[in-house]
Amino acid sequence: MNFFKRAWLNLTAKKGRSILLILVTSAIMLFVLAGLLIRNAADTATSNAKKSVGATVTLSANREAAFKKMRSSTSTKKSSKPKLTTSPVKLSDAKKIAKLSNVSSYSATVSTSANAKGFDAISTSSSSSTGGGMGMKGGMSSSSSSGDIAISGVTSTASTSAFEEKSSKITKGRGITTSDEGTNNVVIESELAKEDSLSVGDTIKLKATTGSKKTYTMKIVGIYKASSSTSTQQGPGATDPSNSVYTSYTFANTVKGSKYKNTADSVTSNVSDPAKVSSVKTAGKKLINTSKYSLSTNDSSYQTVKASMDNVKSFADKIVWLVAIAGTIILALIVILMIRERRYEIGVLLSLGEARWKIVAQFFVEMVMVLIVSIVIAGAGGKFVGNKLGQQLVSQQTTTATTSSTSTQTQGGQPGGSGGAPSGNSKPSGNMGGGGAPDDSSSSSTSSTKQAELDVSVTVLDLVELGGFGLAIMFLSIMLASGGILRLQPKKVLID
Amino acid sequence: MLKTNDLGYWYDRQENSLFEHVDLEFKSGTSYAIVGQSGSGKTTFLSLLAGLDKPRAGQIELNGQPINKIGLTNYRKSHVAIVFQSYNLFNYMSPLNNLLTAMAVTESSHKGDKAFAADMLRKLGLTDEQMKKNVQKLSGGQQQRVAIARTMCCDAKLVVADEPTGNLDEENTKFMIDQFQKIAHEQNKCVIIVTHESDVAKACDHSYRLAKHEFALES
Ligand SMILES: Nc1ncnc2c1ncn2[C@@H]1O[C@H](COP(=O)(O)OP(=O)(O)OP(=O)(O)O)[C@@H](O)[C@H]1O
Ligand SMILES: [Mg+2]
Repeated sequence: MNFFKRAWLNLTAKKGRSILLILVTSAIMLFVLAGLLIRNAADTATSNAKKSVGATVTLSANREAAFKKMRSSTSTKKSSKPKLTTSPVKLSDAKKIAKLSNVSSYSATVSTSANAKGFDAISTSSSSSTGGGMGMKGGMSSSSSSGDIAISGVTSTASTSAFEEKSSKITKGRGITTSDEGTNNVVIESELAKEDSLSVGDTIKLKATTGSKKTYTMKIVGIYKASSSTSTQQGPGATDPSNSVYTSYTFANTVKGSKYKNTADSVTSNVSDPAKVSSVKTAGKKLINTSKYSLSTNDSSYQTVKASMDNVKSFADKIVWLVAIAGTIILALIVILMIRERRYEIGVLLSLGEARWKIVAQFFVEMVMVLIVSIVIAGAGGKFVGNKLGQQLVSQQTTTATTSSTSTQTQGGQPGGSGGAPSGNSKPSGNMGGGGAPDDSSSSSTSSTKQAELDVSVTVLDLVELGGFGLAIMFLSIMLASGGILRLQPKKVLID
Repeated sequence: MLKTNDLGYWYDRQENSLFEHVDLEFKSGTSYAIVGQSGSGKTTFLSLLAGLDKPRAGQIELNGQPINKIGLTNYRKSHVAIVFQSYNLFNYMSPLNNLLTAMAVTESSHKGDKAFAADMLRKLGLTDEQMKKNVQKLSGGQQQRVAIARTMCCDAKLVVADEPTGNLDEENTKFMIDQFQKIAHEQNKCVIIVTHESDVAKACDHSYRLAKHEFALES
């Protein structure tokens, strides 16, 4: 193919022009690359976020329906005191949901309380003395009085949000696992342990405040430390956060009474692909009695990350397309000028009987050669530009995400603190700009740190993608400019 | 080998036609000169013979085949070599690469033969050093030698030239005439030269004068 050789001869003979072309093309490629890098980084960050933050579907009593029922009953029988009756979640229902596709695991939560016996609960000025703390704790057992030790019955501590988000940590011993089902093993907070000089292996006694009012002997298997942020999980009226202990949900049920066997306040199923949350919810609703139970979703962390990454991504997308279009126009104009300047050469080729498409091909090959050098240059500069731009974008995104999420939280606690799952169908309003309504106050800080991980580095794949864009730009600009070649009459050029 | 049948051409209107009803025959192994006043239409006529433009009336036949049937691009590629007053070389190439490019484009039988091209340039008086530097660094006479070498390297049996000696001095003109004669007689090609120089016209085997829209044989 002679036009390859001609392209090469032309580029090497006209060095000044070639260098200018390379500079212009490098600049365009650099912008395209910067856009591609940010977009790809946002892509990776989003899919990483998917894996790390996860999302949950929580099965709990339908409080909304229960309230309605309560109101209707009070209107008919005006005499009696309104009574809220909610049904605990049956574990058999929860297991059905856990079998749905995209559900990886589930954990049950049962909240109750008991009084410390033979050791001292930590009392704070705000909390009432032993045996107090009435009311406010809209939970399963609304009629029961609360004890000074808040018991969180869980499937495993590791699957609770406090431990998942690392606001609580096991410092000694181990957490509660599924193997603790049916045992009286307990994990207590480090402050409580310190106060009462308790350590792993010791036993404590808890006296139930409801039902049988029995006293249970508990074996301490682990000690956890709650960071200060967890303390905000405690609703008003609850005892000091350090009085929260974790047991297996079976024990919590035992404390609550025999009718609570094989139930839970709420069962949270982990959805492996956060994007599938709503389909899991739809499928799950078909399996349960929705008048008694409700399914609520929590993918706010995912939504927060996704929203901010979507912003970065759409911005990067716009950069890529704007630069690609502008680059095409600029290069097309340059090629048009170049073709005008080289009319004579084209005329000679035509007079020799060269096919027009081969002349167009020569120009294309010249531009591709320029492109290859430009991509190398852009690749070298792209890392720098992409990094700077990426940092800038992420820091802006993170700021908006954090500010908006801190202003819209504390919507009531999930497991761990005072009982009672968030009411009914409260859907996290994960909206653009980040900051949905996380059910747990600690999620805002976790999700915003996750956003900051925008990895901007130039890979071979990026360069291949850049090359694809470059080729398309070159092809389009040559096509736009080639009209000049296709219409050129050799006679007009050669005979003046 | 080349015949014009009832050939006619005009730019804007037929009343202002440059020539009409032209029936000429050009044979291989022969050189022809076309003379005439400035503006009479010599270049236009030549551009038709070279396949750079289409006639308004009549047609041109190459060995009995109308050239529009061959296709003008194909015709230029395989059958005609053109020499212009302004040399028309690739200004970004050396003489050697100019020849090699032309040989490649026209798919000459010597395509890719560097030694052959160099030999041709040497015969036309270019030094090895000259044939490797950019053509723009050569004198007009040297550039026209490159142009004529190009026609010699290609297989085209028809060579058309428009004022090939217009920019050359007497010595170079003589040299060019000799080369054209060699092409006609030694390579057995058909050479058609448009010129206003009587020396050039006289040197050719036949001479046509374009006057009053008609071609008349002078010698
Ligand atoms: N593209 C064109 N459009 C209109 N008229 C043209 C065009 N090219 C040439 N002409 C006219 O056609 C006539 C013939 O032009 P042509 O170039 O063939 O003359 P010529 O015989 O080669 O003249 P010269 O000896 O000066 O080179 C001239 O009168 C010229 O003005
Ligand atoms: Mg002329």
